[in-house]
Parts: sequence; structure tokens; C-alpha cells
Amino acid sequence: MTVHLRGPSAVADRRGDGPLDQLRTMIRALPVPTSPLTFPSREAALGLALMDLSFRLDHLPRLSEHLTLMDRGHMSRTISVDVDLDLISGRLRDTLTVPGDSALWVPVSRYSRRDLAPVVIKDSNGEVVPRLSHRDANRVTAAAFVKLLFMLINAHDDVSAPASPIHQLRHTHQRSRWLVEAAITELIMVGSPAGQRLRTPLDHAAPPNTTSSVRDLALAGVEALFATDDVPYARLLQLAVRQYILVAQLGPERPRRFLTWEAPLLPAQHRPAPLQSLAKNVLPVNREFVVEYETEIPRSVKAYHLTLDVRQEISVRRFLMSSDVDEEFVEVLAQDLESVARRAERLGPHHKLFELEMQGIASRLAELGRRRLVDLAGYEAYLARLPIPVRPDATPPLRLTAEQVLRKLSDGDCSLDVLAAFCAHYATDGLQHLARTGLAGPALLNIAAGLRAAQVGRDVTTDNDPREHGAHAHWRRPSVELSPQSTEPVRVFAFMALADEAPALIESITRMVAGLALVVLGIGTLLSGGVDWLYSSRVSDHFAPDQADAVVAVLLLVPGLLLARLDLPSTKSVLGQLHKFQRTLAAASVVVTTALAIVVGTVHSDREMTRWFQLALAVLIVILICCLCEFSARRRHRSSSVPRSTRVPRWLRDARRATGRTVVPDDFFDARGEV
Amino acid sequence: MTSPAGSTKSSELARIAAEAAGTHFSSVQFTLTHGSSLPVSIVDPDKEDPNGWPTDFCHFSAAGLSVSVSTWPSAVSAFSGRVQLGPAEDLGQRETYTYFGHAVPNPGFLNQSTRKFEVLVTLGNTHWSPTYREALMQALVIEKVTGLAAERDAPVLHLHSPVAPVPQTNKNERGDGSNERLRDAIGPCLRFSIGMDPKMAEARLDLETELAALAEEYGFGLKLSDQRLNRVRGEWFTIRGFDRERYRSARGRLFPDAPVLTPRRAVIASVVGPSRPGTTAAAVAALRARGIGVLAASISSMRKTTFINLLLPVAAGVPGTLPQWTGGWVEALPRLTACTGPPFEGGDSSDESLIADWKVAVSPSMRCTYPPSSQQTGATITGRVPYPIWLWWQLPHRSVDTPALLAEVQAALQPHTRRCEIAYAQSRLCRGDVVRGRAKLIVMLSQEHRDHAHVQRLLTDATEQAQLRIRERLPALGRVDPSKVRLRLSPRERWLTYAGISA
Repeated sequence: MTVHLRGPSAVADRRGDGPLDQLRTMIRALPVPTSPLTFPSREAALGLALMDLSFRLDHLPRLSEHLTLMDRGHMSRTISVDVDLDLISGRLRDTLTVPGDSALWVPVSRYSRRDLAPVVIKDSNGEVVPRLSHRDANRVTAAAFVKLLFMLINAHDDVSAPASPIHQLRHTHQRSRWLVEAAITELIMVGSPAGQRLRTPLDHAAPPNTTSSVRDLALAGVEALFATDDVPYARLLQLAVRQYILVAQLGPERPRRFLTWEAPLLPAQHRPAPLQSLAKNVLPVNREFVVEYETEIPRSVKAYHLTLDVRQEISVRRFLMSSDVDEEFVEVLAQDLESVARRAERLGPHHKLFELEMQGIASRLAELGRRRLVDLAGYEAYLARLPIPVRPDATPPLRLTAEQVLRKLSDGDCSLDVLAAFCAHYATDGLQHLARTGLAGPALLNIAAGLRAAQVGRDVTTDNDPREHGAHAHWRRPSVELSPQSTEPVRVFAFMALADEAPALIESITRMVAGLALVVLGIGTLLSGGVDWLYSSRVSDHFAPDQADAVVAVLLLVPGLLLARLDLPSTKSVLGQLHKFQRTLAAASVVVTTALAIVVGTVHSDREMTRWFQLALAVLIVILICCLCEFSARRRHRSSSVPRSTRVPRWLRDARRATGRTVVPDDFFDARGEV
Repeated sequence: MTSPAGSTKSSELARIAAEAAGTHFSSVQFTLTHGSSLPVSIVDPDKEDPNGWPTDFCHFSAAGLSVSVSTWPSAVSAFSGRVQLGPAEDLGQRETYTYFGHAVPNPGFLNQSTRKFEVLVTLGNTHWSPTYREALMQALVIEKVTGLAAERDAPVLHLHSPVAPVPQTNKNERGDGSNERLRDAIGPCLRFSIGMDPKMAEARLDLETELAALAEEYGFGLKLSDQRLNRVRGEWFTIRGFDRERYRSARGRLFPDAPVLTPRRAVIASVVGPSRPGTTAAAVAALRARGIGVLAASISSMRKTTFINLLLPVAAGVPGTLPQWTGGWVEALPRLTACTGPPFEGGDSSDESLIADWKVAVSPSMRCTYPPSSQQTGATITGRVPYPIWLWWQLPHRSVDTPALLAEVQAALQPHTRRCEIAYAQSRLCRGDVVRGRAKLIVMLSQEHRDHAHVQRLLTDATEQAQLRIRERLPALGRVDPSKVRLRLSPRERWLTYAGISA
């Protein structure tokens, strides 16, 4: 799902690349129109209604995403939504009605303009639902922006001041306004996906010496209307030029519908550094394949399901989802904390006011503590129901007193223990008269920093799929929305650790290597007539066989047969990545026996033959030790309580005392449609 | 870090624009009624035109005079200026003056993402019977407090005066408020809410500090809405109690010559224009500079158009012959001075450019009536005390019009009361095509009792029975699905909240 209304960093990625910069560039590049661009008012209304609904998507009560890892580097997604047409207000429905029909145009998603794969929407009967073409969607969007511009000009304070550019644009110098409108239309029709620079013919020509008053007035008008790149209009424009709206035609006779479609294939965003990959592939660390996924869902969605399917041979060792649903709340709280800390002296004389602020802060801190504690309990239950359960944290809770809690908070300790104890004391009215405690003042700055560092605005949802080769997480919107007015989409992060669990390849390979070692040991023992050759420097006189062919045949055939039974996967698949090192071990053991066979066929000296057998056995034992290391690494991975990922909230890692540094995932998929 | 409010604003802009541009509508049409009667339904229930139903409604009454405003989208888009206002056809009702107008909404006025911050100012601890001097003092307080908000570019979302005062609670009272003293229906209090950007915490703190300093300077009582989580509307946190001596001395110092008489007549002035921060302060300051006080006020924004409704006291010696009038703000000032009558010399000192393009409707001077004395608690000798009852409702749009609903509520309360008035009512069309509203009613019970607990029980019974009766009647009245009706009537404001309405 790709709804995106992010902040300034996304608006003006680079200097000169903001939406208004692009508009200015377009104004400079386009010829001045001699007649107005007219859009039917119905189209403008439709465009505005589509824009409004597509940002909020509050007519989608449920959203499901089904992810399938195709191979290393590609993920396919099937998106299903429940649409409730009754949630669209009557006036918007009138606007959305398809002319000459009772059906409605309903936006169901937005996605990046770079995703060019065709999208086919089907309903629950499997019938294809008609879609609004991109061209038409762009046209009504352009009409909407032209209309919105006109409305903003009409409502501007300067519209009645005759000398102002706004008044001129509205009443006297229409051509300048037409130029702005033409520039907006061109920008939306052509589009400019994120990361691509807007190219115009001006890039190829020397800057013109003459200036045009029409163009200058258009630029001055844009300047007067939109002081900064941060105005809402600029954000809407940016989204319109970067994303498409997916609009389906739905009949009103069945207001509740289920729609599903295949989203464009998602390529992995980046790979870990080559050195890191090399280390994972040549060391016996029993590597996991870590995939991280990020998307955005509308805040109004009540339930969100994320499911993952992988090949049956692969196990999903960990699956964890985290969303930033309370992040905005925490940020506002942190800003409040900082402001109160800075204003503590001014608030001092107004004691009751100070107390009100402190109590407001305390109530919000307590609520955060309560919510995260519920999340932690869910996570602990998840660890306990894993196929190989992870032991619960043995350390007992600290059981802090109110004074201890306040002291710890003052030091900036916003760990879950402290927040939960704070919540308990607040609920039992143990934290009255906070303005008189040591908390009121500069200590609040520490709390703000602690809250941000602990990422307490992120929740955690765990896997509840009993299958080993699949995963499912069900996120529900909290019953009480802490930022009720916000329409900011919720960012969702998913962490998946894929592994080769029992019966695993490494087990077969260990058996094979052990078998080969035994074969070498057996042949050596038979040839020397005892086991002395293993440890003694004395060489048996008849070590070199008279009929070498039989030994060579055994040394070549046995490993070949064993190797053939291993069923090694292709190197491009995820399983291939997981087995890379283990495959090397298998190949190395075969190389050893093959080399030994060559030696047996070509060397006739007893002494040399003995040394070669000793060397081959030593190498096979080293390979066997590597196999055992893999087992031990697997055990360590299985007992890991918290994934070492930056996308797992810090408070969870702290609560389970996970101290290791975070690692870069093997694949990262970003479905936000903006990046 | 993300910029939450800004992003939310983008989608709010899209919503406003989408609503404003719906099919053919690009402006707001409104009717404004000044009078002394109850609000009348202007919608014909048989009317098939779905756009004939008002989207927003506001009613306010004080001192026996009332103002009602209904707005709905309009197809008219070509008129000069931002607001057009003129007298409507005479409906034939006595002492009722109706005006009709259009306004261009201001899509730049984005306040959905703001954090509402409510303030209750207490200007006295006796019953409400304002004098000319009190009116001037109230105007000064409105000007000062809204001026503080305007300095921070924060819009005043609503302002009402007079409102129900909040009694001081004792620590030993039960937390749910079930044992708290009954509230007066109205008192010399002023209630207003300001929309502050949640990111501007420092501005909010400065505003709060300056409000507290102002309260200290003038001696008025100050309560702020309880900002703790899970606290609802109607729960207050006392910052300063009312300081009678200081307030009196400030009033005497500032307005030594103003008469200490209760005005017998008043005019209603409605100032209408596109919403912007700072307009209330500008309007009230200009009036106060001309010696005109404010008897009662109701300010609200509907569809991005602000309606500043003021009850202005008419000086005792002024003949009340001027008819109803509409016109621009600049022309309205001399007219208002002529209507209300305080002597005014000197030029225009205040900055009025902010609302220079706004329009004003002025009623003829009308007779005021004041409620009987209530003396703070319900325990008076006679027991004839007006009590407040709060109403909250949510109905599907285009089912029951707000005036019709209010009439129904009054009828349902009829068996229990000897008098039932609507002090204020406000409803608006919300997401999901539902109309949500709040109202405060002032009732005088038909049974007279002095016992606090008994009256409390009577009020609770009356509201519960009335609530049942209304719920039964509404489906027949508006052909509305009973499962979609939500309505709650309670003698306590904070008991109105429905679980999950924030969702």
C-alpha cells in the first residue's frame, strides 16, 4: 500500500528539486498560452474528491498484503482491501458518480509512477473491476489542482489589493495565471518520479537574455501564494507528480466489497556490503537470510494483515512487525517536555499551571508505558510458542518505588521497566504534585531524549502462523487513537529471518563428511593393516596398494553418490544463499577424496601415500569441525531473543537486554512508493 | 523527523477543496436569524433536494435574545468581495429578522490538526446580571484573551458568554462527579477554545502563562480544560480562583464612568467573513474603543466562515427606532455607535484592516430579559432555579434537521419542566455523512425542591426518560434507522462522551 504524506525531508529532497521548484522550472520552460486551459468543473470536482479520498482511504476498513519471496532480490505482493462505500460521505459520492451510470469511481491505492506493471483488480467473484486509466486520472488530477489554485487565489488576503500580484493574477493579467495553470497541468501529466530530475528544453539552451513580464508575474504570483516549500499545496503537488491513484469503478448495489490485485513486483532496495556478504558465505556462521520490508498504511485502516509465503524448504525463524502508530504522539510529547523544561522558570510563579502541564505529561507517559507493556507481553508469548521456544527473561522486575521511578526518569532512563512502574504509580494516584518534585525542570529534557532514543512510539506485532514456511501478523488500530486528528499514514516495518531448519542440509552434509572420513580411515587402516598410521610416524611397507583401481573407484564413486543425493539448490534462490557455505563444505570434502583418488592412482611410494592419507583425513576432520560449528551457530540463532535489526524498536531490545550491534539485512524491500 | 501536522494539513486541504468543489458548489450559503424566539426549521422535510439540508447549524441565546445560523454549500460563485449579506424575506414572525448571504470559504484556514485548548474565564461569582460596566469589562477581557491567541496566529474556534460556571470541587468528592454540586445554568463566565498547532508547544505555554498573568492582573478566575489523557470535555483544571476585590478594583479603575445599571435593550450584531486568526480581537477592540461593551457573545467558524455574534447593550437614553441593517464593517461602526448610543469622539485608532472586507448584520434594538437569580447552588429558598442539561447527538445527514431535533428535545422534557430554553446548540456535518451536535438547555423543573440530592435525582430521571422518548420518536420523524441514532442527554457535561467517538 503506498500512501505517502511525509514531512519536509521528502518534500524537498535536494535543493532545487522541491515541487514548487519544478513548477517554477515548468513556468520558465513553457510557452505563454494565449487562451485559458479549461477543464469541466465536474472533472475538477472529481479530481479533488479522488485526491481527498486517496490520501485518507478511510473507506478501507481492512487491508491485507500477501508477500511472496520470489527469489533473492524480488518480492511479489498481492494486496486485498475491504471497501465500504457507505463510509464515503453523500456529497463526495455525488461527485464520484460515473456519468450516465450509478457506479462510483473509488480510489483504492496510490503507487509510484515508476511502477509501470499493469494492475488488474478483481472482486471476490474473480471478476475484473474496471479501472480509470492513468491518463484520465492524471487529467482530473490536473483539473483539481487548477481549481484548487483558483480557490487559493480567491481566498488570498491580497486578492482585493490592486497592486498585488495575486490581484493581477485573478483580475487583470489572466495570461500569467494561464501560464501557471498550464505549468501545473504539464507537470502532472508528464510526472516526475522521485529520484529523477525534471528535464526541460531549457537544460539544452543558453539562458535567454530577455525577460517576459507575463512569466515574471506568474513567478511572483507563485512566490506570493506559496511562501515556503512546506505549504500543503506543495505537498499535494509533489505526491501528484510522483504517484498514480489506482481508481476502481464500483457499483453502489453492494456497498461492502472485497477487492484484490497483484501489485507491481518489488525489487530489493540495497544489498549489504560485499565484505559482509563474503564473511557470511565463508565462515561457519549458519547464516540466516534476513529480509526487511517497509510499507505505509492509511491511519484510518482498522485491521492490517501481513502474510509471507516462502518455499517449503525454508523456515521462517522470526517474523516481527512494528509500526510507528504512536510516533507522532511521542514526538509531540517530547516537544512538550522540552518546552516545559525551557519554560520552567516562567511557569514557576503559576504553580497550578505548571502542575497541569506536568500531570498532562505524566498521563501520556503512563499510557505509553501501559501500551508497550502489552506489546512486550505479546512478544514474550510469541517467544514461548516458537517451535523451539526461547527462555523468558530470568531477571525479576525491579519493583521501583515512586521516588526511584522519578529519579530514573530524571536520568533519562525510559526503559520499559521504568515506564511500566511509572504507569502503575500514576494509576494509583501516587504521582501527585509533580511540579514540586525534581522531575520538573531540566530533567524533562533527559526524558524527551530518552523517549526518542527508546523509540517508544513504535509498537510490536508478532507472527501467529503455525506453519514453518509461512508467517502472518495481524495489526489492529489501537482502540483509543492517541493522535486522533492526524491523517498521517502509519509506517509499518516487518522483519523476517529465514533459515534452514531441521531436517536441514547441514545435517546431511555432516553425515556425508563423516562418512567420507570413515571411508578414508577404513581404506587407510586396511592398507596399513592397523590404525598405527594415524598417529605414528612409522610407515607400513605395503601401504601403496598393488591394485589401485579398486581404491580409486571407491574414493570417486562414494562421494559422487552421496553428493548426488544432496539436491543442492540454485545459487540465485534464497535457499541457495542459505546453503552457500554448506555447499562449499560438501564440495571441499569431495575435492579431498577425489584428490586422494588421484594420489592413489599415481603415487607408488608407501611413505608419500601414508602422508597423503593423513592429510586427507585431517582436512576432512577440519570440514567436520566446520559442520559442528554450523550446528552451534544455529543453536545460537535459535535462542536469540530479539532480532538484531534497526527496525526492531529500541525499547524491545533493551527490555530483553539485547546488547549486540544491529546488522544490515540481506534484502530490503520498500513499498512506500516514494523512494 | 516527520512533520505530522503539516502532512495532516495537506489532506485537510484536499478535503476542504473536495467539499467546496463538490459538483458545482464553490461557496457557502447561509441564513442568519436575529430574534427572541426559538430556532425554526428552514428545511421542508418533504424537500427532495439533497443539497437543501444545512450542513452546519449554530444557535445561541442569552438575555432573551437569540441568533441562529445555518450554512450549506451553494452554487453561487460570482459576487463581489468575499461575503455578501442582505436581509431576507420577512417570515412574518414578530421580532425576528432574517438575513441571507454567501461567503467564499478560506481553504487556507486549516485547523483540523490543531490541538484544542479550552479556557473558562470567571468574571464573577454571583448570578448573571450584567451592567454596562460589566459589559465593557467583558469586552476588554475578550479582546485581551483573543488578542493573545492572535499574537500566536492561533484561531479562536469558538467563544461563548455567558456560560455555566463550574463549581469548585472538594477533594473528598467522588471522582466521577456524581456528588458534585449542581451547576448554575449560566453565570458571568466566558468559555472559548483555541486551536494550537501541537508542534508549537512553546507558543501554547507562553499563551497559558500570559493568560494566568492576565487573570492575576484583572482578578478573573481561570480554568483550563484538563489536558490529561482520557479526560473529556467538561473537566477543568483550576489555575486561579476568582479574586473579587481585585476584579472590582480593576473594573472601577478602567471604567469609572460606565453606568452600573443592567441594560434593558440590546442590539444583535453579526460580523461575518472568511475565517482568519485575530478577527475576534479586531472586532471587539474596535467596538470597545467606541465605548461599546459586549453583553453576550457567540463566535464560531462554520465551513471556514467565521460568525461573530455579539449582543451589544443599548444606552438608556437612545431611542430605539433604527431598523435592521446590513453593510460593510467600516460603515457598520458609526451605525453601531448610533444604535447603542455611548458618546464617541475621536478617529479610528484600532487596526481594522483584518476585517475591513467583512459584512455586518445589525438588528433593531430589542428588549432583554434576564433569568431569575440562582445564587450558585440549587439550594435557594424557592427552589425555582434554572439548571443546565447537556445534549450530544449524532444522526445521519439529511434525516432530522437540528431545529426539529431541538424542538423534539424540548417536547420530550415538557412533562418534567415548567420552562425549557436552548442556551446554545451547534451541529456540523462530519466524516461518514453524520451530523454531530452539542447543545445546552436551561430547564426549570416543574417540581420545586430544596434538597440537593432530590433535585439531582429528578434531573437524572427527567433526562433519562426524555432520552428514551426522543429515541423512540426520532425514527418516525426523520425516517432514520434507529441503530444509527446516538443521543445522550445528561445534567453533567462530562457524561456525554460516547465510548469510541474519537475513533
